[in-house]
Amino acid sequence: MKTKYMNPYLAGTLLGLVLLSAMYISGRGLGASGGLKYCVVSVVGAVDKPHAEKSVYYSKYFEEGQKPLFNWLTMIIFGVLAGGFVSGAVSKRLQFKIEKSPGISNTRRLIFAFIGGAFFVYGAQLARGCTSGAALSGMAVLSVAGFVTMITIFGSAYLFAWFFRKNWI
Amino acid sequence: MNARQILTTILLLLGLILAFLPLSGNYSFHGKPGKLLVETLDENTYCTPDQVARFVVTEDSTMQLIDLRTADEFESFSIPGAINIPYSSMLSQNLESYLDRDVKNIFYANGDYLANYALVLARGLGFQNNMVMKGGLNEWYRTVMNSEFTGERISARENALFETRRKAEKMFTELNSLPDSLKARYRESKEIERKKLDGGCE
Amino acid sequence: MGPITSAPGFPVWLDLLIAFLIGIGFGFSLEQAGFSSSRKLAGMFYGYDTTVLKVFFTAAIVALIGSQFLSYFGLLNLNLVFVNEYYVTASIVGGVIMGAGFIMGGFCPGTGVSAMSIGKIDALFYVLGGLAGAFLFAETYPLIQPLADNAYRGPVKINDVFGISPGLFTLLLVIAAAGMFWVAELAEKKFARPDITGEI
Repeated sequence: MKTKYMNPYLAGTLLGLVLLSAMYISGRGLGASGGLKYCVVSVVGAVDKPHAEKSVYYSKYFEEGQKPLFNWLTMIIFGVLAGGFVSGAVSKRLQFKIEKSPGISNTRRLIFAFIGGAFFVYGAQLARGCTSGAALSGMAVLSVAGFVTMITIFGSAYLFAWFFRKNWI
Repeated sequence: MNARQILTTILLLLGLILAFLPLSGNYSFHGKPGKLLVETLDENTYCTPDQVARFVVTEDSTMQLIDLRTADEFESFSIPGAINIPYSSMLSQNLESYLDRDVKNIFYANGDYLANYALVLARGLGFQNNMVMKGGLNEWYRTVMNSEFTGERISARENALFETRRKAEKMFTELNSLPDSLKARYRESKEIERKKLDGGCE
Repeated sequence: MGPITSAPGFPVWLDLLIAFLIGIGFGFSLEQAGFSSSRKLAGMFYGYDTTVLKVFFTAAIVALIGSQFLSYFGLLNLNLVFVNEYYVTASIVGGVIMGAGFIMGGFCPGTGVSAMSIGKIDALFYVLGGLAGAFLFAETYPLIQPLADNAYRGPVKINDVFGISPGLFTLLLVIAAAGMFWVAELAEKKFARPDITGEI
């Protein structure tokens, strides 16, 4: 029997304190899509070094013998993996599951999940941040980019919501 | 009261406090008189217009010129690379943003006195890393802008000094004869270069 | 005075270890809030679950208020805290693409990874798609670079745009958020879907 989720306001306060500690200790906010990007970059570097060095995009991550895998953002993402697991274990929510509306098939859900992920991280790289990196951390430092990103993400999701309603409800 | 009401009340109270808190926290003048006395007489606190000319010509980014005159005077002409903090508004600004950085700040004004007062204020509030350009813009005009080639070149060093002065004079004239919009753009780009911090989710 | 890692000579390995620990806190809070469930996240856009709004704004405001008080007491130098740089076109276009990705995938990268860690297969596919998206961006970067670098405005702060102090803006944000929370709770009652909320 799984435990109920934490009260959203309490969870929000907890998340806010985590963000605050990141600001206080490391002078920066949280971030997630950046971690995924660095994983890709380090794989590309390992598999096809010449391509990485020639490319305008990849080369800047390998300057001065840097290792993209050992980066603040990748460490955060590994931590998220661990922290989520701990929370799931503590609240007895560990379970293999596919979440979707009962009206659609598993395959459809997984395909949309993949496409959604691709869209989202592509957009996040363009906007230089995702909901955690740009919107949440950005709002906490009062940056215009943070607010604009947040408003466009939420606004756009509302606009597209009707078209994808079958997936959820 | 449910969670939402408790939370919003607490946040509203804290927000109210923040809205009316004075922005710049607590700046207290804690300079020891003895120390200030010695520091303001120390030669290393002062640099000459020639030295400033060299920083300008080499675009030395470890130095930051701070122009203490009014905004109007600054708009009509200034030394390339300088930022404008009018003396009268020095304390109402967010001091740390320009005094507490890795660079050495060099104060200047038309003459000597404003820059010296600014130095004492800054040192007294605890900021180190600042200097004064001796003689101010008056001295700059005398030595750099109006430098004359007098007779034979005597030594390599004097040659180099003359070159630097000429180059600085050129940069000064060029920057200050730009139309205002371009001047503003040049300053903006310098401003943006300063603030490179680590972070984001890129 | 914070930020602590801005002290000269701060060891890099310690900085990375701290990032890992902060990440654990991050993942833990996300999962506790229920963001490991894509239907809960998507519920924000259909009205039956507004947890996203509550957690998001509460977190942003807590960090905002906390950092300002730390700055006031001289414990944190806000000038050394990263402020996102504003590229107008890239923020807006990227935001639109992200919104589409959100409603299709049902996650954002942070919540996706945290959900993946407790076994959600759809989150796994989301993260795989995310890696593909990052790869796509990296490979096609020269095409999109002009758009990505367009209209650079620097690290502008929103309170400067309106010409008010950070404290006053924070207060206004809190008031706005309080209003939104109230509306959100009404919406949850109006658009309730007990069938969904019961099982997520």
